[in-house]
Amino acid sequence: MPEIELINVTKTFNEGKVLAVDNISLKIEDGDYVFLLGPTGCGKTTTLRMIAGLEMPTKGKVLINGKNVEAIPPEDRDMGFIFQHFEIFNHLTVWENVTFGLEMRGFEDDYIIQQAEKALKTVGILEYADEYPSVFANPGLQKLAIARAIATGANTLIMDEPLGSLDPKVSKVFRHELRNLVKDLGLTAVHVTHNQEQAMAIADKIIIMRNGKILQMGTPYALYENPNSIFVANFLGETNFLQGFVLRLLDHDLMEIWIRLGGPKIICKNPGLKFNLDNNIVIAFRYEDVYLFPMDYDFKNSLYDWSEMEFFTVTLESSRFIGETKRFYLRLENGDKFTSVKPGTFEENFFSGNQILVGVHQNDIHVFKAPSDLLYELSLS
Amino acid sequence: MVEIELKNITKTYGKTPVLKDISFVIKDEEYFIILGPTGAGKTTLLKIMAGLEHPDSGKVLFDGKDVTAKSPGERNLGFMFENYALFPHMNLVENVAYSSRVHARNKEMTNALVNQVLMMTLLTGRDNAFPEELSGGMKQRVALCRALMNLEQTKLLILDEPLKALDAGLRMNLRQELLLMAKSKELDLTVIHVTNEEQEAMMVADRIAVMNQGEIIQIGSPHEIYYHPKELFVANFLSEINYFEGICIKNETPLWDIHQKSEQKDKFYAEIHEHSSPLLLDIGFNNQFAAYVKNDFNDQIHHGDKILLVVRANHMKIRLGNRLSRKSNSFIGKILRRKFMGVFYRFEVIIRVKSKEKKIIITIPATTEIHNRFLEDSEVTVYFPKELGIVFKYPGEQIIQDILKLE
Repeated sequence: MPEIELINVTKTFNEGKVLAVDNISLKIEDGDYVFLLGPTGCGKTTTLRMIAGLEMPTKGKVLINGKNVEAIPPEDRDMGFIFQHFEIFNHLTVWENVTFGLEMRGFEDDYIIQQAEKALKTVGILEYADEYPSVFANPGLQKLAIARAIATGANTLIMDEPLGSLDPKVSKVFRHELRNLVKDLGLTAVHVTHNQEQAMAIADKIIIMRNGKILQMGTPYALYENPNSIFVANFLGETNFLQGFVLRLLDHDLMEIWIRLGGPKIICKNPGLKFNLDNNIVIAFRYEDVYLFPMDYDFKNSLYDWSEMEFFTVTLESSRFIGETKRFYLRLENGDKFTSVKPGTFEENFFSGNQILVGVHQNDIHVFKAPSDLLYELSLS
Repeated sequence: MVEIELKNITKTYGKTPVLKDISFVIKDEEYFIILGPTGAGKTTLLKIMAGLEHPDSGKVLFDGKDVTAKSPGERNLGFMFENYALFPHMNLVENVAYSSRVHARNKEMTNALVNQVLMMTLLTGRDNAFPEELSGGMKQRVALCRALMNLEQTKLLILDEPLKALDAGLRMNLRQELLLMAKSKELDLTVIHVTNEEQEAMMVADRIAVMNQGEIIQIGSPHEIYYHPKELFVANFLSEINYFEGICIKNETPLWDIHQKSEQKDKFYAEIHEHSSPLLLDIGFNNQFAAYVKNDFNDQIHHGDKILLVVRANHMKIRLGNRLSRKSNSFIGKILRRKFMGVFYRFEVIIRVKSKEKKIIITIPATTEIHNRFLEDSEVTVYFPKELGIVFKYPGEQIIQDILKLE
């Protein structure tokens, strides 16, 4: 059973001129479906290739089950590979595509037949065994690529944008099938993508990379609920950011923030008393954590406890029904804009130009030190 | 003002029909989306409107005038196609400003416009980069900027997958910008935008034309096609769905009749909306009946007809325990898998009745309660309000398989 560990791994190209991966350490537990996620050029593919043995680290170690695998070539690492363009052999039948790798490794015929049948059945294309890959559109090719990867009996799947060639609709259906398959077979999976929605939908754990470094790793839930940086907050979900400064420090590890240019005053948590008076800060809260109320909402007779909710008044600029959700585009008096997302079935009676009361729970407000370049932190590349 | 009318457009490549008798009108100042999977014929249709392709038969009218034989230049429009066609020898700003040369704009105005579109697409500060130095996403944005530069001359913007190569986050931002720009009062634009992403379509469109295999399946507002899809293809394309095969037991059942039936069987009770008459369905679970609002398209469903009931994953609700609801259609099951996806949790719930088993997909807003209490293996009741059920005449096994497998 595999446990993959990288210790202080650095990778440079062009005789040290290009730093692709910058001193990273990580651990992938047996049976985890792990994503390497980040914008183009962040080092995620290079990291994947080092795990697979397709690249050697310039510095640092790759361990599998505690053993340094420097001397072990990719084909002996018990890994199956799936790439964006599938790399299917079009001149071989579906069956031959799957058995080819097994034959190359010199397995017995009986074993090869058993493995190929099992793999093709698992992905649901056994009936096409004698056909050529040209009968398939992209989803079928994708399944064939997966069958080929799992037929070897590999315990780890190495995937680089495996859903990248599928139509968005197909990929949204297929991603769940892919996860279920990996979990049902008890495989460990390492999956590279730049698509955060896909990572959130499939991953047990996500490793977020930028500029060759790891910014944060953890479960989708942990990263989503507690992002450690503006970049991660912005990258993993739709987030509102407002700039301000610390106006007052309060008891119980709370503080009062004043949003810039005469915006609202908001009370939020100051965990570990990280922030001091007059610190410039950025607050972040998710679109879906913005509650909307009519101006005359009767809080006194409400069933819910609104005591830790921060309220302020905004103008509704426009709203939009997009199926699963409804989006409300809002503007503060100081001109700052932000957005609220509600379920598509949310019933409301708001019109553009209306004043609306907005509420955000103190627990849903994340505070970050104002960066020197907010635009850079918010850029997704 | 630009109103576009297509009349009986057909197009065949070799022996393959790409467009089959397409007719519709795009209204002045409308943001019109053509949505469909790869190979549906979307881009061909767009090229015919732009004058880059000619139909085998049929007419293209702009403001009532026949432009079928006119070249793209004579049609006065801004367009952006998937292969961005940037000039490799010009830097970013020169590429973007190129149309100003053609239109002999003064320098100040050009600069102001260039700055505006670069800011909007987050390209500011890359002025001197040449196309080969730019990533795919950046090239796409440059191409978009170039199309946007034309807008004071033309009132028609044609966009083929304008946001395709971009990262998800950037795509979300740009969608909103595109819409704001298209709707700005100064520009009075008509926009035709092709995409294969349903979220993108829903987010910007006034109306959406859903295409498949060379045909327009349905045209309507996002709300219409979402709540009243005309066919299974449309229903499925817009979100993850659950479907049930069954039989229509009764059409236009009066209120008292349902009461009576449900009392009798002690299984199911349906509240009825004022303005709708329900269908009563047997979908084979526990002899439960389900009643649904009729939509515009299922008039033709009669007593005894085989039907397909569709319920969107996000219209299913879930609660702990195993009490069947008397107010809505409900099933008892067990959570097989759950996955946190950010805004939503996605559940796969197995419902079993005797030997019959079915997997139901549910997506619901993520809350602390869901996170803490709705765990795998929990026994749950799954239900949905009857007005959110969509009923189609049974389209046949093969069609269902083709649509749901998307191949």
